[in-house]
Amino acid sequence: MVPSASDFLHTSQNADGGWGYLPGQASAVEPTSAAIMGLRDEPKGQSAVEGALSWLSAAQNGDGGWGVARGAVSGWQTGWAILALAAAQGTGDAVTRGTNWLLKVKPAEAQRDDMQKLEATLAIDFTLRGWPWLPGEATWIEPTCLAVLALCAVTRTNESDARVAEAVRYLKDRRCRPGGWNVGNPVMFSQSLPPRTHPTALAVLALSRAAPEQLLPEDLSALRADMRSDGGALALASGLLALRERGDDDAVAAARLAEIQLADGSWNSNVYHTAFALILERGGI
Amino acid sequence: MATAPTRPARPRLSRRGFLRLALLAGIGAGAVAVDRLYRPVGPFNYLRWLARGEIKRRIGPPAIVALGRCPSYSDDVLACLRDLWRQAEMPSVDGKRVLVKPNLVDSIEGRVATTAPQVVGAVVDLLRELRAGEIVVADGPCFRREAWPVVQACGLADVLEARRAQFVDLNYDDPAPVPVRDGWFHRADHLWLPRHVREADLIVSVPKLKTHHWAGVSLSLKNLFGVVPGMVYGWPKNILHMNGIAPSILGLHQSLPPVVAVVDGIVGMEGDGPLFGTPVEHGLLAVGQDALAVDVTCMRAMGLPLDASGHLWLAAWSGMGQAERVEVRGQSLQDLKRLYERPPSS
Repeated sequence: MVPSASDFLHTSQNADGGWGYLPGQASAVEPTSAAIMGLRDEPKGQSAVEGALSWLSAAQNGDGGWGVARGAVSGWQTGWAILALAAAQGTGDAVTRGTNWLLKVKPAEAQRDDMQKLEATLAIDFTLRGWPWLPGEATWIEPTCLAVLALCAVTRTNESDARVAEAVRYLKDRRCRPGGWNVGNPVMFSQSLPPRTHPTALAVLALSRAAPEQLLPEDLSALRADMRSDGGALALASGLLALRERGDDDAVAAARLAEIQLADGSWNSNVYHTAFALILERGGI
Repeated sequence: MATAPTRPARPRLSRRGFLRLALLAGIGAGAVAVDRLYRPVGPFNYLRWLARGEIKRRIGPPAIVALGRCPSYSDDVLACLRDLWRQAEMPSVDGKRVLVKPNLVDSIEGRVATTAPQVVGAVVDLLRELRAGEIVVADGPCFRREAWPVVQACGLADVLEARRAQFVDLNYDDPAPVPVRDGWFHRADHLWLPRHVREADLIVSVPKLKTHHWAGVSLSLKNLFGVVPGMVYGWPKNILHMNGIAPSILGLHQSLPPVVAVVDGIVGMEGDGPLFGTPVEHGLLAVGQDALAVDVTCMRAMGLPLDASGHLWLAAWSGMGQAERVEVRGQSLQDLKRLYERPPSS
């Protein structure tokens, strides 16, 4: 029998319950959370999910956040951990502490002079707060979208609603000229940066939850075009996930994704990429 | 009759004691002022770099940089490279683990921002001729979470497949913390680096010859940004920008295994590099053991002064390599000189 994506995840799970990005690597928060999301509705995946949830709970830092791995400084992985825990266990203490970390994390503060120069160069509004990859750094599309998805998945408060509303304005401000999103700014020295699939897919998912009326048809067109041109497993899986969230699809991309699945059931032998494809197969985040 | 209690005598500060205290306070205030002046690097690092740079400029041995003319990618790039490698007196790679690091920053339709696959292929072929023990081609693109689409789009996938050469996506390559050296990372005492980078005996940095809107030029030293793993620092590795581009480039170079350079200037990029610049048919290949010497020589071949690049100026000033005493072999610099349009800057 040909191994499936879930077979690959089962065989690549570490003894401690987590997954590394690649088989044999130490467990990391992002692939473990994505694998939980991919396996959680599968009857034969329950013991794997339980082991992973234990590992994830133990990997939470004292400040409430999660880093790349156990003991690492808290960062964007917190959004993933909240999504996985909330989906599998509902809102509990770990999710609440994680949410508090997300609401408190501080990005870099640009000096006024730098801000003016950079605003002119990058064509962005520096006063809008998104989320950084790591505390004290600049804000970017992907960590902002993960934080929005996480905050939308838990009990909402006035504070979280206000941050989500600001993040929606942030995403509007960072939209590329042809629609879609690059990793951060849409312009560099008057040159439009091209949209990229993974950040665009996450932005479509985040806006679908937080403010679907802010999505433009151009965002989906840009997503579709770059997804096909990129042709990589992660771009195809995340792009299709976003399109299906909007009730759309792309048969060519889906066929291409099936075509590049490896004999071991994975995509690129990468747990994170494979989990994304499995989340797609299971019907979304 | 009871006597009134006498007040204990107050200790008196002698004139000499007062002067000693004033002297100590003055030294302390001076140290604080010096520390603030040179923060975040600190006066110790500043003086150390200054002295190292002076020694390098005055009595350091000259670096050898070999320049060759190779008009197009359809020419015999390997023959040219083989000759330059010999002229540059490059280190032995016999039995060594060598990591070949091209620039795969991103693929953008109609732009040539990445190292040409023909040059990467020639480097792999040459390393095999020279009996390198293990060769991997590796990079961690800044703008995409998956490297393979960039590898395919630029044509490198076919070149590697034809040679059965291994490619490693450094963004996911089992990173572990490594102590940073030489004081350039003021916010961190360690940096997470990928396994193949940590275990390499030698890194061959194979950049595209380009202008760069933040760094002035993107050559073999700037190319090192790609070794930082995205799975730890995100995309596009913002820690390096927060630390400052110039100190991060220098800190990376000092914390890595030895780095040598092979620069692909057969078609360079001028103007709005590193992504949107204009191609320049330059016909240049440059090879050398001292990455700074190679980059500075390439800058001269681009018609740009050293101070047009912050990190190269700083690397030269701090003596990270040789920038002044450079022996150019092969083609003369004058013959290969062009005048590149400078990048826009903020």
